[in-house]
Amino acid sequence: MLDISAWFNDLLADNLIFTPTTLGYYWEGLVTTTQLVFLSLVAGLILAVPLAIMRSSKHKWISLPVYLYTYVFRGTPLLIQLYIIYYGVVFIDGIQETFLWPVLKEAFYPALIAFTLNTAAYTTEIFRGAIKATSKGEIEAARAYGMSQNLMMRRIILPSAFRRALPAYGNEVIFMLHASAIASVVTLMDLTGAARFVYARFYAPFDAFLFVAAIYLCLTFAILYFFRFLEKKLLAHLRPQNS
Amino acid sequence: MLDLQGYGPRLIEGAGVTVQLAVLSLILAILLGLLTASAKMSRNWLLRRTATVYTTVIRGVPDLVLMMLLFFGGQIGVNAISDMLYYNYDIDIYINFNAFAAGVLTIGFIFGAYMGETFRGAFMAVDNGQIEAGKAYGMSNALVFRRIRFPQMMRHALPGLSNNWMVLLKTTALVSVIGLTDMVRVAAEASRATHEPFVFLIPVAAAYLLIASVSEWIFARLQKRYDIGFGGQ
Amino acid sequence: MAATPTPLEVRNIKKRFGDTEVLKGLSLEAQKGDVITLIGASGSGKSTFLRCMNLLEQPDDGELYVHGEQIRFKTTKHGREPADWKQVVQMRAKLSMVFQSFNLWAHMTLLENIIEAPIHVLGKPKKEAIEHAHALLNRVGLSARANAYPAQMSGGQQQRGAIARALAMNPEVMLFDEPTSALDPELVGDVLKVMRDLANEGRTMVVVTHEMSFARDVSSKVIYLHQGLVEEQGAPDDVLGNPQSPRLKQFLAPKY
Repeated sequence: MLDISAWFNDLLADNLIFTPTTLGYYWEGLVTTTQLVFLSLVAGLILAVPLAIMRSSKHKWISLPVYLYTYVFRGTPLLIQLYIIYYGVVFIDGIQETFLWPVLKEAFYPALIAFTLNTAAYTTEIFRGAIKATSKGEIEAARAYGMSQNLMMRRIILPSAFRRALPAYGNEVIFMLHASAIASVVTLMDLTGAARFVYARFYAPFDAFLFVAAIYLCLTFAILYFFRFLEKKLLAHLRPQNS
Repeated sequence: MLDLQGYGPRLIEGAGVTVQLAVLSLILAILLGLLTASAKMSRNWLLRRTATVYTTVIRGVPDLVLMMLLFFGGQIGVNAISDMLYYNYDIDIYINFNAFAAGVLTIGFIFGAYMGETFRGAFMAVDNGQIEAGKAYGMSNALVFRRIRFPQMMRHALPGLSNNWMVLLKTTALVSVIGLTDMVRVAAEASRATHEPFVFLIPVAAAYLLIASVSEWIFARLQKRYDIGFGGQ
Repeated sequence: MAATPTPLEVRNIKKRFGDTEVLKGLSLEAQKGDVITLIGASGSGKSTFLRCMNLLEQPDDGELYVHGEQIRFKTTKHGREPADWKQVVQMRAKLSMVFQSFNLWAHMTLLENIIEAPIHVLGKPKKEAIEHAHALLNRVGLSARANAYPAQMSGGQQQRGAIARALAMNPEVMLFDEPTSALDPELVGDVLKVMRDLANEGRTMVVVTHEMSFARDVSSKVIYLHQGLVEEQGAPDDVLGNPQSPRLKQFLAPKY
């Protein structure tokens, strides 16, 4: 252990920018980015399932509000959504006096809310597409066996739709990781925030941003391979049988 | 009536910046995309490899990080060049690194990678017989491209092109972070100054929806034009 | 000797795809007014041979003369290639090809298809090209369909349109690659009739076909290919009426 830290200090000895302190910032940034992206994806996913079912409803009064929500959130920049929620919360009269203030002033939560609503909108549309693509035959078979609408949705339509949605959802996860970089705009110290800090401190844009770009690239590939692995496991039944 | 507290003209100017930035970036992205697609389909190993690295790296890194890298790094690069000119050749010029140009270059460069993928797929979707007929009638490669390959490719490329444009349009909002005064920056400044975020940010959001709807209509018309001759009538 | 140079001559064409040699040294000479028919089972190499004549396929060996001019080749790491693509482009403009799957350009009307190459390749004035196109459409019986898109026409109409497109180039030689194979049987007759008329007016044609009656009645020479080699060739009456090789006999035997 001592050897490793000695080796590490040696490695950084001649480097003025990448000191243990700045690497600490990047590490904190990585933690913040991961938390933001992971939590918003989980919350977005939980929201998206009922929304996608509503969006697929035959009743206009159920599907239309969901459509409006996805249209607005997919049609406007995430940065605006973030600003509206961040400033909207911060500038509410009297909010500074409430018990919520210590939480809300953090910028983490407004960002989390904005990211969640944004990814929920995209995920809803991805699921809706997958639900719509369920084969007529599978639905008819379920009806023929006397399944109720609810049971059919739960047992037949959703399981197959989730699997079909997997490749598109993988793209959405990567998209969210990249979109999370704008958290740095509202003073959050995420990965990009750390890079901006290091850039401002040392006026070394290439070091600061190329390093963080490499981290994002690694994360992107990790997500990509994770979803490829999942697809292989879950979509095995769709591949033609060989040998 | 909406009270924009004197920010109205600046918001409209900002909207102008957004639209110009988006359109110029789109043109650059299309040109880069065509180049990338041809490089990917080329027989030359080095060209293929370069194009693959370009598209992979661009699609693996957040737009904002690339933008900051090119913008802040670009300024230093430009300064280094003018220093070099001054010390070595005694040429004293100050090159101003224009934020608007930097924005166009960055967004064009990023979306060139996405367009490259779109165009490659579209070129491959063109029936080879159509190309062969052109060659068999003595058309040069350039003529085949202009008269047959390109118009037929566009039909397949338009859905992806339209999608890329919608994403590009939203990406322009990021230039407000690196100091360009587009409509998002004006709205954010006004929100901070007046403590009334909804008054400024919601109309700007609506403006994005409006531009998106207009573009959707234009793309639908273009699709109709390029679908001519492919059944469905 | 002859005052006019031979329109098309190929010598000793060889072509391999991977490990299989599909053309093992084929030659052909088309004098003005000749109608040469290439017949053979599928896989005999007849279409590949035809496509080597306008270099849609690159032959690995052999010589090619169009209107007396030799096409120059060079060897690169990708194999043998034409040395001068400009020369190839000019050569192709003298040989019009009619394809099995028509390959009319889908995004252009029939009229636009016909005037495309004359205007952009030969540099003909647009007005003249359009006049010529109308005359040709009249000739193949498609005057009414000038403004139709290929997708709106039957296969037989498309193929007759494609022949009009080929004629608009005023070609030295016309190459036909199984022009009736993709057509419904009832549409074959119209296309063959147009081709017979062309033969009768002295067009130089090289035709790959399965239509034995066309080969017998129209051609001046029939070449029977088997596995990339000429098995038998000569006047149609000899080759088709009195086949020598057992394979050709079997090929010509009625199939039920």
